[in-house]
Amino acid sequence: MVCPYLEYRTHDESHEFDHPRAYCGASEAFVSPMQADVCNDRDRFDHASYCSVYRRLVAEIESGDD
Amino acid sequence: MTYDDYLAGKKVILTVATTGGVHGKDANLNLPEQPAEIARDVRECERLGASIAHVHGRDEYGENSAAHLQAVNDAIRDHCEDVIIQNTTGGQSAYESRVRGIRTDPPPEMASLDMGPFNRGQHIITEHTRHNIESLAREMRERGIKPELEAFNNGHLNETHRLIDLGLLEEPYYVNLIFGGGTFSMPSPRNLLNLVDNLPENAEFNVLATGRHQLPLTTMAVLLGGHVRVGMEDNLYFERGRPAENNAQLVERSVEVIERLGREIATPEEARSILGMD
Ligand code: SF4
Repeated sequence: MVCPYLEYRTHDESHEFDHPRAYCGASEAFVSPMQADVCNDRDRFDHASYCSVYRRLVAEIESGDD
Repeated sequence: MTYDDYLAGKKVILTVATTGGVHGKDANLNLPEQPAEIARDVRECERLGASIAHVHGRDEYGENSAAHLQAVNDAIRDHCEDVIIQNTTGGQSAYESRVRGIRTDPPPEMASLDMGPFNRGQHIITEHTRHNIESLAREMRERGIKPELEAFNNGHLNETHRLIDLGLLEEPYYVNLIFGGGTFSMPSPRNLLNLVDNLPENAEFNVLATGRHQLPLTTMAVLLGGHVRVGMEDNLYFERGRPAENNAQLVERSVEVIERLGREIATPEEARSILGMD
C-alpha cells in the first residue's frame, strides 16, 4: 500500500515539470527518486517503517490522541 | 597505478555518470532521466572524451527502475559511437531488481559491483551482503562483463581483497574509490592517498567524489595515475551556487584539467585495453 500522503503533480509554487512527479503532501515538497521507492512501498520498503516524515507524523498524531 | 604512471603519461579513462539513482529533476532540472535525454547527454560526453557511461534506469516519473535499463542501453547504442556501457547493479533496491543490470540484451560491457552496504537516510542500509556480491561477481564473469568494484569506504577494500582471494575477479581489478558523506570514505586528500596505498596489486583505480569534492579529488587521481568519474549523478553543481547545465559541462572541465596536467584521455578502445577487456 503506498503512503496516503503521496501524490503525483507537475508543479508546486517553485517547480514546474513536464511530467508528474512524486510529491509528499505531508512535507509539501517533491520527493527524490530514492525516497519515492519508500513512498511507493517498492521492493522491501514500506513507508511506515522507512520514512522519517511519516513516522514523525504518526507519532505526533498518536501523542495528540493521548 | 602510481605517480610513475602519471609521469609516464598513462592515458586517463573518463567515466560519465549522467543520472544515478538519488537525485531527480526536482534537484536540478537539467538532470537527464528519460532514455533519449540520457543518450543525448552520453553522446555529447563521448564526443568530449568520456569512454565509459555509468547508467541507471528511470521510469516515466523519473523514479528508479531497473526495468528501464534496457531502453537506456538501446538509446545509447543508437546515439553513440563506441562508448562503453556500464550498468548499475547498485543502490537500495532488492537483489532481484539490481541483477537486471547484467541481464540486458546484449549484456553491458561493464557493470558496477558494490563491495558492501552503505546507509541511505535514517532507516535504510543497502542490501549488499557477501552472498549477493559473490553471486553478482560470478554472473558477471559468466557473461563476460567487467565489474567496476565500488569501494564506498575503507572496509570495502578489505572485501575487494577477499573477492580476489576467492578467485572471483580477473586482473586488472578496476576499483572505484568513493568519497562523500555518510558511510562513504571521508573526502580528503590524505584518505585518497591511504586508499591508493591499500589497493590490490594489478589494480587500476578511479575516483568518484560527491558534490564539491568532485573536482579536487578527481584532479588528485590524475596526478596519482588514476582515472576519473564525473557527472550529475555525483554532483549537481558546476561551482558553488551554480547548478550544472548538463553533464557535458562537467566532463569538459575534467578534460581540460586532465590535459593541462599532461595526461591524454583514453578512447573507448584504449579504455578496453587498459582494463583488459579486449
Ligand atoms: S515522504 Fe514519507 S510521508 Fe511523504 S509521501 Fe513519502 S512516505 Fe509518505
